[in-house]
Amino acid sequence: MSKNMNLITAPLRKANPVTVLILGICSALAVTAKLKPAIVMALSVTVVTALSNLVISLLRKGIPSKIRIIVQLIVVATLVIIVDQFLKAFMYDVSKQLSVFVGLIITNCIVMGRLEAFAMSHKPWESFLDGIGNGLGYGSILVIVAFFRELLGSGTLFGFQVIPQGLYNLGYMNNGLMILPPMALIIIGIIIWLQKPEEGK
Amino acid sequence: MNDRYIFRYIIILVLIVSVLLSGAAMLLKPYQDNNKKNEQRINILKAAGITGVDKNNAEQLFEQHCTTTNDGDLPYYIIDDKTTVIPMQGNGLWGPIWGYIGLSEDFQTIVGAVFDHKSETPGLGAEITTDNFQSQFSGKEMKRNGDNITVEVDAIAGATRTSDGVKDMIKNTLEAYKAYFEGNE
Repeated sequence: MSKNMNLITAPLRKANPVTVLILGICSALAVTAKLKPAIVMALSVTVVTALSNLVISLLRKGIPSKIRIIVQLIVVATLVIIVDQFLKAFMYDVSKQLSVFVGLIITNCIVMGRLEAFAMSHKPWESFLDGIGNGLGYGSILVIVAFFRELLGSGTLFGFQVIPQGLYNLGYMNNGLMILPPMALIIIGIIIWLQKPEEGK
Repeated sequence: MNDRYIFRYIIILVLIVSVLLSGAAMLLKPYQDNNKKNEQRINILKAAGITGVDKNNAEQLFEQHCTTTNDGDLPYYIIDDKTTVIPMQGNGLWGPIWGYIGLSEDFQTIVGAVFDHKSETPGLGAEITTDNFQSQFSGKEMKRNGDNITVEVDAIAGATRTSDGVKDMIKNTLEAYKAYFEGNE
């Protein structure tokens, strides 16, 4: 049981896909200008990682190794398209926010990385938990980065103004650079820097 | 794991996937079409300055307010016999953008505008869908000076190409309707 819990908690810190394995950086830059899309993206990556891990793990004994990457890609793409179609039909508002991000999930290195590194050699239930853990590990970094970018770049959180007008009157200004992707890279760099000594290596 | 096994495996997998995908697409299409239609109705009513429209009452309110619909080469919708709503299409930075613009009876004032996009950058170009950006257009005077049409609004910082796309879209659309404006003034 504790081994299974470890599958979920390890990717949150010491095996974090973004800050330790340096995967999924591209989308972490693209969707973290605001908190809301970052959270929606985190949830959808979690769903896709968990389900594709589960499916690949179920199929793992029959997949010919020569074409395993193609099979993985087909599974991921199918899941993403079905989720997208489903959202378009029943949660249209959410799907409109997601549309760009859903396409990004297919190319997210974490999904394929977990399939190749974990699901191909582990049992379905473990793979499912591993997918959830990695999705959440990715999501936690997204939320941290988006929090600082939205706060410092737009003075808002979830679209609500949090930096008081009085501060602007005193000459405070939103940092426009924060909204641009390079700042996400720098914030992720700072998180890695803070996290490294803690790991003792 | 010989080649024959690989071929058989991939063919069966692809068949299963295609059945799944086309089944999902067929089953869900009616719902998706309905959502799209409702969204169009909501956007048209919003561009005409009618508030409180959501997906549940869109169809009813649209029937109630829309007095004329023209689906020809230059489509327009007339709301409550006074506001003309014109659909617009243009290009943003990454893909198409579109929207609706509502004009007053004398075509001198913008009643409202809504914009939407396929794939503009979240947090930057995608801000054209927010009320903050769209509400700037309400009540703006539209200066038509010969061939020039001027509307003054604030662009979005950091999203120059999308803002330019919105500008060109409005300009091109209104220019195309010039004859219509002059004929109905």
